[in-house]
Amino acid sequence: MDFDVINTTTKDELLTAIEDHQDTNFRIGAGYTDLIMNLRFQPTEGMTLINIAQMKDPSFISIEEQQDHIVLGTLVTASNIVNSPLIKLEFPVLHEAALSVASTQIRNSATVGGNICNASPSADMAGALVALKAVCCVLNSKGEERIEPLASFIVGVGKTSLDKNEVLKSISIPRNSGDQLKSGFEKVGTRNSMEISIVSLAYHFQLDESGKVVDAGVSCGAVAPTIPFAESACDFMVGKDLDGLSETDKEEFAENVLKYATPISDIRASEWYRKEVLFNISQAIFD
Amino acid sequence: MKKNLKIIGKSHKKLDGKERVSGKAVYGHDIELPNMLHGAILRTKYPCANLISIDTSRAEALGGVECVITAKDIEVSNISFKRDHPVLKNGTVNCNRDEIAAVAAVTKEIANKAIRLIDVKYEVKEGVYDPIEALKEDAPRINEFGKGEEKFGNKNIAETFHYDHGDMEEQKAKSHVIVKKTYELPRVTHACMATSNITAEYSEFDGRLTLWSSTQVPFLYQRDIAHALKMDPSKIRIIQPIIGGGFGSKLDMHPFEPICALLSMKSKKPVQILFSREEEFVLSPTRQPMIITLTTGADEKGKFTFREVDIIKDNGAYTSWGATTPFVMMQTFSSLYQIPACSFDSKAVYTNNPFAGSFRGYGNPQATFALETNIDLMAEELGMSKAEIRLKNANFKGEVTGQGLHFKTCGAIPALEKVLEKSNYDQRATERKEGRYLRGVGLGSMLHVGGGAKIYRSDGCGTTLKLDDYGYLTIITGSNEIGQGSETVLAMIAMEELGIDEDKIKVINTDTDVKPWDVGVHASRTSFVAGNSLLGAIKLIKEKLSKKASELLEIESDSWTYDNGVMLANEQEIKIDKVAREIHFGSPHELCSVTYFYEPPSSFQDKEFKGDVSGNYAFASQAIEVEVDTVTGNIAVLGVHVSQDVGRVLNPVGLQGQMEGGVATGVGYALTEEMIYEEGILKNPSFHGYKILTTTDMPPVHFYPIETYDEAGPYGSKGAGEAPLIPTAAAIANAVSDAIGVRFNSLPITPEKILRALSEKKEKELVS
Repeated sequence: MDFDVINTTTKDELLTAIEDHQDTNFRIGAGYTDLIMNLRFQPTEGMTLINIAQMKDPSFISIEEQQDHIVLGTLVTASNIVNSPLIKLEFPVLHEAALSVASTQIRNSATVGGNICNASPSADMAGALVALKAVCCVLNSKGEERIEPLASFIVGVGKTSLDKNEVLKSISIPRNSGDQLKSGFEKVGTRNSMEISIVSLAYHFQLDESGKVVDAGVSCGAVAPTIPFAESACDFMVGKDLDGLSETDKEEFAENVLKYATPISDIRASEWYRKEVLFNISQAIFD
Repeated sequence: MKKNLKIIGKSHKKLDGKERVSGKAVYGHDIELPNMLHGAILRTKYPCANLISIDTSRAEALGGVECVITAKDIEVSNISFKRDHPVLKNGTVNCNRDEIAAVAAVTKEIANKAIRLIDVKYEVKEGVYDPIEALKEDAPRINEFGKGEEKFGNKNIAETFHYDHGDMEEQKAKSHVIVKKTYELPRVTHACMATSNITAEYSEFDGRLTLWSSTQVPFLYQRDIAHALKMDPSKIRIIQPIIGGGFGSKLDMHPFEPICALLSMKSKKPVQILFSREEEFVLSPTRQPMIITLTTGADEKGKFTFREVDIIKDNGAYTSWGATTPFVMMQTFSSLYQIPACSFDSKAVYTNNPFAGSFRGYGNPQATFALETNIDLMAEELGMSKAEIRLKNANFKGEVTGQGLHFKTCGAIPALEKVLEKSNYDQRATERKEGRYLRGVGLGSMLHVGGGAKIYRSDGCGTTLKLDDYGYLTIITGSNEIGQGSETVLAMIAMEELGIDEDKIKVINTDTDVKPWDVGVHASRTSFVAGNSLLGAIKLIKEKLSKKASELLEIESDSWTYDNGVMLANEQEIKIDKVAREIHFGSPHELCSVTYFYEPPSSFQDKEFKGDVSGNYAFASQAIEVEVDTVTGNIAVLGVHVSQDVGRVLNPVGLQGQMEGGVATGVGYALTEEMIYEEGILKNPSFHGYKILTTTDMPPVHFYPIETYDEAGPYGSKGAGEAPLIPTAAAIANAVSDAIGVRFNSLPITPEKILRALSEKKEKELVS
């Protein structure tokens, strides 16, 4: 690997570095748990790496509690999420997803922004955030901000809607309307650690006092080029009483989730298995 | 012969533990010699092709490149067990590992860049990747050096074995049940923590070659390198830096090793070659994939009658030591449990796949998986308990098997009884299974050599002892430390016998110019052979010490005790270092030094593979409990109960480490590990794709040693290293079948196989 590195510690330094490299090949690096792996198999001559791991700007690095949203800076690590009591309480799906990432060492380094911008269909934290209807705050080199739902921010395998002069600054998650939840993350893989999801299911149901679903968020990972938000499965669930779900309801929910799955066969699993297991886990979350 | 001991049998920390955990250990990767160059090897793009031309001119012109070699530049002999493997390829390439050219340059980056500048023109051919296809008449001849046509009547057969004993027809007639099944075993790899490495330094002045190598068998390696390079073996010095994992992978010499030496000879500078992790996956040896067809019978009462075995092994393009795994497999089929008649045939068949090598267990995990599954199936057909059928047929003390193995001690029944009791087997096996998570329990037993294996002309080990003027003992042993704890056990034996403190003991074992001969680390032999060799040397040095001490104290005694640096007899004592000094400085002026060579009492097997091949035999049983998640197909191993006849426990903590490590490899073999090859190309050369288990997947391992005090081993011990992984996959497969009522005839048992089986089972139930 042979490339130049620019270290940025403030927002201004970062924006200048991006602006100055518009005509060259550059990459932005944060936790390096994916990037270094990728660069090993790519020519890096003439490339510039803009390192943002040392950024001090709080909007990039902190978990901020607002009235209507929780805002995660792009450099918040998986371990920061795992260790946040607020997230564990309000968004168990994100807590579980972050905890399922690789290993402690990698969680200490891997960032939520990197997990999103790497745009892998099997990204666990991104999957949970899609289910949570999170919104991305994108900053361009002129300092202008734009807002885009995460579900459309990821546009394909390894592809996001980021322009060359843009960087992901933070991710906002709308807060729950109440404290009755059924929220969790199912990860399918062969190992307990150091595993990339073969299939994942993120779900976040908000319930009213009687146990009826008032808001639903469901996404499935590693079964499509993006991480689809399973809208029809969510619609199906709204208004349902979770304690009173029939077997047919569970099946119908799973069938609705499955509509979003267009998986491929690869060395990790076949298309058949991915569909079968997605259906099974979708059904089983209510057991 | 149990005697009370002070050191042996009590846990002792590894001598090299501190270096290893603090990062101070010097591995091959850490070696840097003055003016050292870095080597890189160009390998074929296609697993099966003719080489039309090789143009190295652009690589040679690159600044920093010191030499480039291809087959036409070198004068070498073919290597490998069958001498069917050219060091650098010329004319054809036969598998994805094939070496075409090599470069030495001032940096690793330049060497790698130079490799990319070599222009090779190929004529791509269609390869043969299935051994059954390779056996067909119209298949192309895969290895031009293979002697299959003359020797075995088929151009693509690399090696065959035939064995039989007993009256097959009579035993078949007695059989009440006969089970015939075909099993397919995958290709898996060792995945050593340290990647393969070598550093070579050739001196043009005296024609001597020094290799810093991680071989497990330095003296055989010295001979193999000499053969490859057409040199005198004694001009080759092998130094073994600390090895980051062996597990059998370093038994064969591979082309990169003579290539590194050739680069040093040509450049006249030291050269180092280090593998990347991807290279390690692609290039290091693997366990043999094989297809085993096994027919077994039992009479009405469940007594075993016969076994018929037919094995097709995927040899890959060249023939490694791996081709000899039938030596071990036939022991299992002929002698694990009492068996009146057995016939065994195996063929190793050339394909355009990579060649397999040796791997802990050496064919035995494959054989044991097939056999223990068939036993379960026979028990089911007979309506017998799976525990009872095993106990009824278990090996026993004094048994001489059809193959001629003599079990002078035998812990088979105690080991089986122990795991049945500790796993609460009878209750577990009859529990009702319902719900999402289904639990099951399975059994597997094994037989393996415990006292070396005489497959080479000598299975011995030499030891030199030196007690210096200050009472420090140097043990120069032929054996090698590859992480298994050999140095520690040897030091413990010396502490026990001579009463010398650990901090006054040095173990020297890394240099063929210094150490006496030993055949190497394999066949679970090191503690047995090196331990006996050390005990022999200790006996000699004690004779020397007691003679001088008697003289100095003016007493007569033949029963000296050694304790805490002091020799005692007839209530008199003298410091051991004083005795050593008197031997040195007093008349007739000798050094307190001895040399001993131990050759085990085992015998070479005859042409029919009959004979008592090992000094003793190890037996083990495992009972494993699993939980199958019927939603995902995942299998959790809940607990592993291991009971093993180890003769006598030497170092409990070291032995526990062997058990846990072995079980970890066995669980991976059963459930997750597989090298995925498509048309001769490896698709998962990384730890992401190759699912070796992590610490968080490790089940609890409950170990119950059985001590049978076998006379042949040091303090009654038996070899223990390979055994713990051998029955693991078998026991897990049997447990999975117990849980979900479906049998798997291939490994690994992946979540996908489970879900498919469950879905097929459901369909069948719906139809009926």
